[in-house]
Amino acid sequence: MTDDLMVQFLSEGRELVAGAEHDLGRLARQPDDAGALDGCFRAIHTLKGSAGLFDLRPMSLMLHAAEDLLALLRAERTGVAEDFEALFSVVDTIDRWLDALDHHGVLPAGAEETSQTETARLRALVASVSAPADLAVRPAATSWRPPEGFADKGLTAVRYTPRADSYFAGDDPVAIIAATPGLAGLRISPREPWAASEDYDPYACNLVLEAVSTLGRAEVEGTFRFVADQVEFVDLMTREARGAPQHGARKTLRIDAERVDRLAALAGDLVIAKNGLADLAAQAEALPGGQALGQALRARQAQLDRLVGDLHVTVGKVRLVALGPLFARFHRMAREIARSLDKAVSLEVEGGDVEVDKTIVDALFEPLLHVLRNAIDHGVEPAEVRARAGKPAVASIRFTARTVADQVVIEVRDDGAGVDPARIRTLATDRGVLTQEAADRLDDQASIDLIFTPGFSSANEVSAVSGRGVGMDVVREAAQKLGGKVEVDSQLGQGATVRFILPVTMVLTKVMVVTCGEERYGLALDTVVETVRVAAERIVPVRAGRAFQLRDAVVPLLSLGDLVGAASAETRSSERVVVARARGELVGLAVDAIVDRMDAAVRPMTGLLAGAPGVMGATLLADGAVLMVLDPAELLT
Amino acid sequence: MTIVRDGPVVRLQGICRVEDAEPLTALLQGASASTLDLAACEGLHGAVIQAILAFRPKIIGVPDDPFLRDVLLPALIGEQSCEVPRA
Repeated sequence: MTDDLMVQFLSEGRELVAGAEHDLGRLARQPDDAGALDGCFRAIHTLKGSAGLFDLRPMSLMLHAAEDLLALLRAERTGVAEDFEALFSVVDTIDRWLDALDHHGVLPAGAEETSQTETARLRALVASVSAPADLAVRPAATSWRPPEGFADKGLTAVRYTPRADSYFAGDDPVAIIAATPGLAGLRISPREPWAASEDYDPYACNLVLEAVSTLGRAEVEGTFRFVADQVEFVDLMTREARGAPQHGARKTLRIDAERVDRLAALAGDLVIAKNGLADLAAQAEALPGGQALGQALRARQAQLDRLVGDLHVTVGKVRLVALGPLFARFHRMAREIARSLDKAVSLEVEGGDVEVDKTIVDALFEPLLHVLRNAIDHGVEPAEVRARAGKPAVASIRFTARTVADQVVIEVRDDGAGVDPARIRTLATDRGVLTQEAADRLDDQASIDLIFTPGFSSANEVSAVSGRGVGMDVVREAAQKLGGKVEVDSQLGQGATVRFILPVTMVLTKVMVVTCGEERYGLALDTVVETVRVAAERIVPVRAGRAFQLRDAVVPLLSLGDLVGAASAETRSSERVVVARARGELVGLAVDAIVDRMDAAVRPMTGLLAGAPGVMGATLLADGAVLMVLDPAELLT
Repeated sequence: MTIVRDGPVVRLQGICRVEDAEPLTALLQGASASTLDLAACEGLHGAVIQAILAFRPKIIGVPDDPFLRDVLLPALIGEQSCEVPRA
């Protein structure tokens, strides 16, 4: 129970942290963004409530102080840079603690002290907010909240508080607000409570006019250019942008990933089970008078085929999750890495709504973090170098994601120094990765690709950030394991782009792993009908080949070892035979042993092996070995 | 414009300008005028609207002008929260 709660807390906590972080980012740019302030407040408030369910006192205390500061910012004045820095720091700390809770089940050592420091900092800011001097500089005006109903009617809300002498000045405030383009709603109320009837002054303007427009702020502002000092605008978020409504029907459902995986596995098994039907149909047709039954079976099989196919695809889609939350985790990382290296970077994220299989999202965190570290450590130049090159002091790193056909392209682009091919060649030869002659033959792109070579690390000295004995080779391996690839574009002096090209869905192929002599091979399981053990005496020579009887059919028997040119096994008293269907015909493939069944992301072969007949592709085994996956149908031609 | 007094009903006709605010206020201040007919009204200055808001007469008649009818009238009638001045 507690574990379940904790799992939910961790998952929701990350979302809330990401939300708060996003809102703080908006506030840092535009401190009077009421929507962002509300969003941030809600996220911190919810986090505080959730933290209270567990024994996480340091977290609760810190969040409580943060909530107080945000509450004051909502009521009293617009936040300043120090406020947002302190709040960013709180959110970062929470994020780190969530990681610690996830991995170790407890808050990290020193959490109590950190909490005290952060809380003290927040309390000091709260005290300064309450100081009268602050109130004097900040008019209370910015605390305006558009009326409830406005948010559903348009994009921009405006409040116009005409001066008391407006009528004398010749203004008609109602005519001005009536000219608002896209006007969708109006509310008129007194600015001050009405005076007693006999004291009412018909020429002193005492109105507040609030309006909502269906158009954007830029289009609305022009109307009020002559009374700009008397109006306030608020950008209303659209229903979609506000995200899930707080009440009412939720369209999303949080499901334990393991259950979805189980569902996917069952759908996969169904594909295999269904394959057996084709064989049954054939057998039924072969029976005397079984023609009709066989055909009916075949028709049913075709229907089942389609349904199972649909199911497979649909289950695959259930597993799709947006990249946004993954990307959001890198904001804190980028700040921390940059701080530790004394560099300034700004991380921008685009395409967070692109959806990818959960397995891929989960597996991408480490590689992307590594690329991010590399970009900040090796890509971004020290401040003085950037200044000389005329680049902005704050380096830009962009994470982008987009789908291209059935692949997703994720790029990490920096505006740093780029990768110097000549230097890579020198380093590679120095480190014995390749010989001088080989290096001289490489063009620039091939040289840059050397950073993916195992054992190559382009840092001159091992730094605390990047030098952890993990190189870009690990990044490439991770991409390959996911059935994709990674490449680097670099423009010297302009920056580098690391590009991951990955499948959107994990196309997992069921593979049977067999051995022939020393070698292991994979056979796509959807071609396998059954496996049998055939005694040597049941094997009969047929012309140049061999055959055996399987129930009432004679099936040709081939040695897989012979087909792939592996060492031939010695003659045995019985053969392990995989019966596969190749072009509608059954064929027996003799193997030494059947060792495993697995789900694997099979990649098509590239390079010289691309055209190798009978090879469907390759996949990486858990021990890092490459497994060739064979297609029996092609092997036999 | 014309302000027509008809017993307890005050009719606003044509376009009401800023200078109409004062006579309207005078009428509404008197206890006898409690209803406002906007059917023939073609435009309302902010100062006139302010007087209507301040004295909250009962409004009858629907003006033809789309802005008055669809935007302003709901705002005048819907504004229930403002304090009603009492002599």
